[in-house]
Amino acid sequence: MTWRGWTTIILVLVFVAGPYSFAANAPLKSGAQRRVASTPINDFRFIDEYGAPFAFESLSGRVVVVAFVYTSCPDVCPLITASLRQVQVGLGAEERQKVHLLTVTTDPEIDQPKVLLAYGKRYGADFANWSFLTGEPTALKKVWQNFGVGVKRKGRGLVDHTPLTAIVDQKKLLRFGYVGPSPDPKAVLSDIRALLSERLSAPAH
Amino acid sequence: MRIGFWPLLVFFMFLVGCGRNERMDTVYAERCLSCHGPGGRGDGALAGMLPVAPPDFRETVQRKSNSQIRRVITEGRGLMPAFEPALRPAEITDMLQMVRFLSREGRDVAWWERFDALVVAHCSIPWETVLGYDDPPETEENK
Repeated sequence: MTWRGWTTIILVLVFVAGPYSFAANAPLKSGAQRRVASTPINDFRFIDEYGAPFAFESLSGRVVVVAFVYTSCPDVCPLITASLRQVQVGLGAEERQKVHLLTVTTDPEIDQPKVLLAYGKRYGADFANWSFLTGEPTALKKVWQNFGVGVKRKGRGLVDHTPLTAIVDQKKLLRFGYVGPSPDPKAVLSDIRALLSERLSAPAH
Repeated sequence: MRIGFWPLLVFFMFLVGCGRNERMDTVYAERCLSCHGPGGRGDGALAGMLPVAPPDFRETVQRKSNSQIRRVITEGRGLMPAFEPALRPAEITDMLQMVRFLSREGRDVAWWERFDALVVAHCSIPWETVLGYDDPPETEENK
């Protein structure tokens, strides 16, 4: 190949691949892709790992990290939940008052409260600001759709679903989504802190 | 009355079928393959992403009893999910047997295969129920 050919290839790489490298949606080393969004999240009511009613509206004013997994998932869910645990550990005492983690099941058939409780304990979850939610399939379906999560049951305890970890801001807008296994805890914490500081700098009404 | 080894073996083969079957392959492919790999050597597609490498069954399973393996399958360990209540007891037994078979890969297979039927027979006995420490059978109420 002539020097002109090589020059053309290099220019194409610089001008085509270059912008993708710096785009907001560039894949992270973790294996999860970060997406920026602005989707309103509707209120929902489920039951938590203790079988107690849980209302999303009760988290108003907090940043909420929502992960969609199921407990018998042999695929990426364990990696997502392990990352979420690292996020929880990485939050300071004051931040824990302003941030809540939610694990929403994609398999309500199996994931009853006692199963979710055992699952949370296995990952060392602090249930003070981390809830594991299940509910009626029809109600769950609305929430999955609201977050853009596709769910397809393949068999008992076997579900195909979008591996989403989402960050919802204090005004219930979905702002960031991580699609894939192992969302980078540092990146998630960075996004959380950006949203917390947004609130501090927001003009008073 | 003395019963020879081979008639006993044939009896067990007749009783429980013989060796690795499609059910075992299916449950393994659906639930284990992504981390443990096709031969149970801990080289599945997701293994590289795990903080701790999945074990090579040839190194670990041989030292464990069926009850110990069953407990890992039902309760989970580390990032491995708990497969109870998602899997039925029969499926858990299939998974257990598959893990046993894979643990013998690369060994003196011909020698071990003489005992496949006995191993399958042993694994097919619900020891937890026989020994009295199994959960009560599933009903509509506790499903």
